Amino acid sequence: MMYRLGAHPQEWIDRSVVHSFTFEGKTYQGFGGDTITSALAAAGVPYLARSFKYHRPRHVLSFANHDSNLLFQVDGVPNVRGDVTLLSDGMRVSAVNTFGGLTRDKARALDRFSRFLPVGFYYKAFHSKRFFPRWERMFRRLTGLGVVALDAKRETTAKRYGFCDVLVIGGGPSGLSAALGAAAAGARVTLVEESPRLSGSGNGILDGELEATLRLVGAVRASPAITVSCGTVAAAYYADHWVALAEGTRLTKMRAKAVVFAAGVIEQPAVFRNNDLPGVMLASAAWALVLRHRVAPGRNVVMVAANLEAYRVCLDLHAQGVKVAAIVDWRPASGSGPGADGTKGADETATAACEAAGMRVLRGHAPYEAIAGRDGVVTALDVVAVDAGGRPAPGRRQRLACDAVLMSVGWAPAANLLLQSGGTTRFAPDLQQFVPATCPAGVFAAGRLNGVYDFEARVVDGTRAGSEAAAHAGFGVASAALRASNAARAGAARCPSHAFPISDHPAAKNFVDFDEDLQVKDLENAAQEGFDSSELMKRYSTVGMGPSQGKHSNMNALRILARYRGVGVETLALTTSRPMYHPVPLKLLAGRRFNVERRTPVDAEHQQLGAVWMPAGNWRRPEYYAVSGESRADSIEAEVRAVRAAVGLIDVGTLGKIEIYGPDAGAFLDRVYTGKFSTLAVGMTRYGLMLDESGVIIDDGVIARLASDLYYFTTTTSGSATVFRELLRLNASWGMDCALVNLTGHRAALNLAGPASRAMLQALTDVPLGEAQFPFLGVRVGQVAGVAARLMRVGFVGELGYEIHVASGDAAYLWRALTAAGRPHGLRPFGVEAQRVLRLEKGHLIVGQDTDGLTDPFEANAAWAVNMQKPFFVGQRSLKILKQRGPRQTLVGIEVQDAGGRLPKECHLVIERGEIAGRITSVVHSRALNQTIGLALVAPALARQGGEIEIRAEQGVMLKARIVPTPFYDPTGLRQRSAVPVPEPDEATV
Amino acid sequence: MTALSLTARTSLERFGLKGPGAADWLLAQGIGVPPAPNTWLGPATPDDETLLVARLGSSEFFLEDSAGGSVLAAIEPKPGAHPPGVYPVLREDVSWLLTGAGVVDVLAQVCNVDFAALDLTHRPVIMTLMIGVAVLVVPQAGGEAFGRGASANFRIWCDPTFGPYLGESLGEVVRECGGNYRGVSA
Repeated sequence: MMYRLGAHPQEWIDRSVVHSFTFEGKTYQGFGGDTITSALAAAGVPYLARSFKYHRPRHVLSFANHDSNLLFQVDGVPNVRGDVTLLSDGMRVSAVNTFGGLTRDKARALDRFSRFLPVGFYYKAFHSKRFFPRWERMFRRLTGLGVVALDAKRETTAKRYGFCDVLVIGGGPSGLSAALGAAAAGARVTLVEESPRLSGSGNGILDGELEATLRLVGAVRASPAITVSCGTVAAAYYADHWVALAEGTRLTKMRAKAVVFAAGVIEQPAVFRNNDLPGVMLASAAWALVLRHRVAPGRNVVMVAANLEAYRVCLDLHAQGVKVAAIVDWRPASGSGPGADGTKGADETATAACEAAGMRVLRGHAPYEAIAGRDGVVTALDVVAVDAGGRPAPGRRQRLACDAVLMSVGWAPAANLLLQSGGTTRFAPDLQQFVPATCPAGVFAAGRLNGVYDFEARVVDGTRAGSEAAAHAGFGVASAALRASNAARAGAARCPSHAFPISDHPAAKNFVDFDEDLQVKDLENAAQEGFDSSELMKRYSTVGMGPSQGKHSNMNALRILARYRGVGVETLALTTSRPMYHPVPLKLLAGRRFNVERRTPVDAEHQQLGAVWMPAGNWRRPEYYAVSGESRADSIEAEVRAVRAAVGLIDVGTLGKIEIYGPDAGAFLDRVYTGKFSTLAVGMTRYGLMLDESGVIIDDGVIARLASDLYYFTTTTSGSATVFRELLRLNASWGMDCALVNLTGHRAALNLAGPASRAMLQALTDVPLGEAQFPFLGVRVGQVAGVAARLMRVGFVGELGYEIHVASGDAAYLWRALTAAGRPHGLRPFGVEAQRVLRLEKGHLIVGQDTDGLTDPFEANAAWAVNMQKPFFVGQRSLKILKQRGPRQTLVGIEVQDAGGRLPKECHLVIERGEIAGRITSVVHSRALNQTIGLALVAPALARQGGEIEIRAEQGVMLKARIVPTPFYDPTGLRQRSAVPVPEPDEATV
Repeated sequence: MTALSLTARTSLERFGLKGPGAADWLLAQGIGVPPAPNTWLGPATPDDETLLVARLGSSEFFLEDSAGGSVLAAIEPKPGAHPPGVYPVLREDVSWLLTGAGVVDVLAQVCNVDFAALDLTHRPVIMTLMIGVAVLVVPQAGGEAFGRGASANFRIWCDPTFGPYLGESLGEVVRECGGNYRGVSA
């Protein structure tokens, strides 16, 4: 049972501050500086959590955030990591993944049925379609960790960018030395450390390493060139040394010129039956609990060892008053053979010291099974002798009574970010560890991650890496002497990791991955079923896919796979490391949730008029204008009627607007559009269709010629940025004598449309609007309401109309002037929905809605806009091929037959003899025509005028539609060419 | 130390020019031309009433007059009457002045450029993205110390359709950093 020790000068807790909190409804107390885990451990709570799959009781394993044994629900926040989350007063803590509470968890029965839940069982058991809904409901209830509170207060965090010359990741002796080395060369250094304080982990007290480390800490703190950030996880590495740093309350996007990875190594568990019992933990966890939080792991501790570090930890714990009863050393007594440390003298000295302290040392023995007491906590450890090959030889077992088992059998490098940077590793058999093999430019490795274990060697290695990183960033020169010195020390490295710290057991429950409750047999079974590479075994068994991402399991899994296949570990590859290395709360990634939004300069006017807003790409536009007493449908219909019968006004300022100047302006447009523009008369406009190289329609617009060397043209709202970028690229490639200017945001555009538009506008403008002076498709420059304007006669909605383009700063004034002048004429502003109805009544297509990523002009009935006689335009060559091949689909107009009020929707399918033969692209009910009309892309065989098609609407209801010519409304275009009489204002029906 | 603030600039006369003849045309108008792309000439401080000329590329320029200035109104090419090789560019930008203590903290939250590392003696013009919006930034002397000992105020321009979003977002950050935001009234 764990308990609190007396004070120590190096402790991290503040005994003058006492926090009260509840766990599973019961009240406990802890000190300031305690984490949730350390406070509960000090209180002697026997177990704190239930495992993911079998709901086995769990307690501390790593106490370093390298496992997910101890995730808690805290004050409504799920999956709070108890090992590293500081306690605060009044916290309400409960276990996750339980049904009926931690102690009475109903799902604990699953542990007894584990034989029916082998690896991959879900692939085999739940494939039946008939039963799948039931299985899905069961799994949704049973699985998952924590509960998301849907009414939780929304939090935003402030992301920021950071900049430095050298980023050092890891605050142990080698990281501290790297930071000092880089700073000495003149670099700006940022040092990040995931622990709350700089101290390095596992540095011995009795051998003076801790004191030496603290001196390095002092030097770092005193250096003005080094910025330290503790409690910060380097979560991911992206190109160009862009590292995501997850701090408690924000994400820093650090841009460094060079990076030193000194993140150290992660202690690995020994694998034996019941190695997951409460009370069984890593030696480094016990060390941190004792030294930092003054919590003893137990009153009668057994250490499972395979290296010198284990002995140092035992001596440190003994000096702190913790009784270590025995050391079970996996290595043979002779100090040679598998798992031998290589430094016989140091081994013997350590053994003697521990024996002198009253510890029983059992060399050549391995853990076989941990025994649980009635409360589920470990009460004994059964050990067996190892054979000549270092393998546990089940036979005579010795039972060692204990209430805590510590494991110090080896390490795996925290090299994930180095791998993400493009670095590679190789397996070093002498170290039984993967070490860096290659590092990309600007990336350096140091310390135990680099395979350097001796303390002084780590300091030299860190200094070397720091100076090399600084040199790469342009500061100082890397020291060759340092590199040589480091190499010499590295050659004297000893092996701290056992080659195979795994005991087989016929009753299994020897856990490899604690997150996923994976046992040795699970991984062997996966390999046996053919999933016998590291990547396949990972995906089939889920090893390494839990919240710890394999930190404590990948290495042992690789060893098991190697044994199964009869190959060396060095022949197998680590699984690919991808961001994020460590779980990052989504709120840190979301940040302030900036949501880019564009508004036209008439936005405030729309708001005053009661606009109901809708998003159009990253713009906000009026969907319609709400009028008291009118429903949405009625308002839209009224807006449509106003345009057809009198005059309407719409803000089309979201359109892309581009000017092109220069002697080659017309020739350039001839190349980028399908039509001919170099011969367009000054003062006229023409519709333009833009294709990509494969002949697919990508955009359309109206091109106006304002002068011999000046054109002004529009693009679709969604295409403006990409089209401009593409035109710049083409101009740079072709080197023509012209210049492009993007005026999308700097100009506003208003469309005045309806039979009364001319009469209304003439009163405001100096431009003669008579049919002869300003014909359909003309463009004029003048003034409207005293504002400099460009006017274009275009006909998107099919009525006499003028598109008025002005400088952005004049738009709001012009809107007000037009609405005031339009009142006697029955003017009504209209929004996007009304415009959709109007344009569809005219059969006008919308690129990206009525066309898709494969639609060419022939399929879209837009061949009339293509001038194949030009010497060249983008997509021309492809069109020649497409014309020969013939269309795969054809855009047609449809009238939907009366279906009792049911309407198809966009993207509903056209079905012919049970097969998909097309889809609806646009559909509205037109009250003007008293008909549901639409456009559809259909198989060419169906595209006969008068032919009938079937549409599968919602709930599988089949509707009939007839193919008809377009436009549906004013098919000869007389209205937009103003060839119909204009009604008097008082005759308008609005 | 000056308090952190973000202030929308009142409407100033501005326009752009591009084309092979743009630089020579400006010189012919008696206006100094920055020698290199991405540099500027003009007011040393926000209160200085000199014309600002920013060179955005080898043949593209952005000009802004001072408050009350009349230089640009006198020389701006009339629509349709531009000289050969000199193409006027309509500029209706929204602009702000960001200044004061902690300005670099604000910029670090919204922009990927290391402003603290800039050498302001070169009068750099920065064209970059700020919280998703393309902006033009001109650091000017006269502000508080930051970074490696240089000091700067920051003049920021953007497309007017992004103005409300950028102003509100920057203003939110400035307020959280303890500063004031004075926006454009409707």
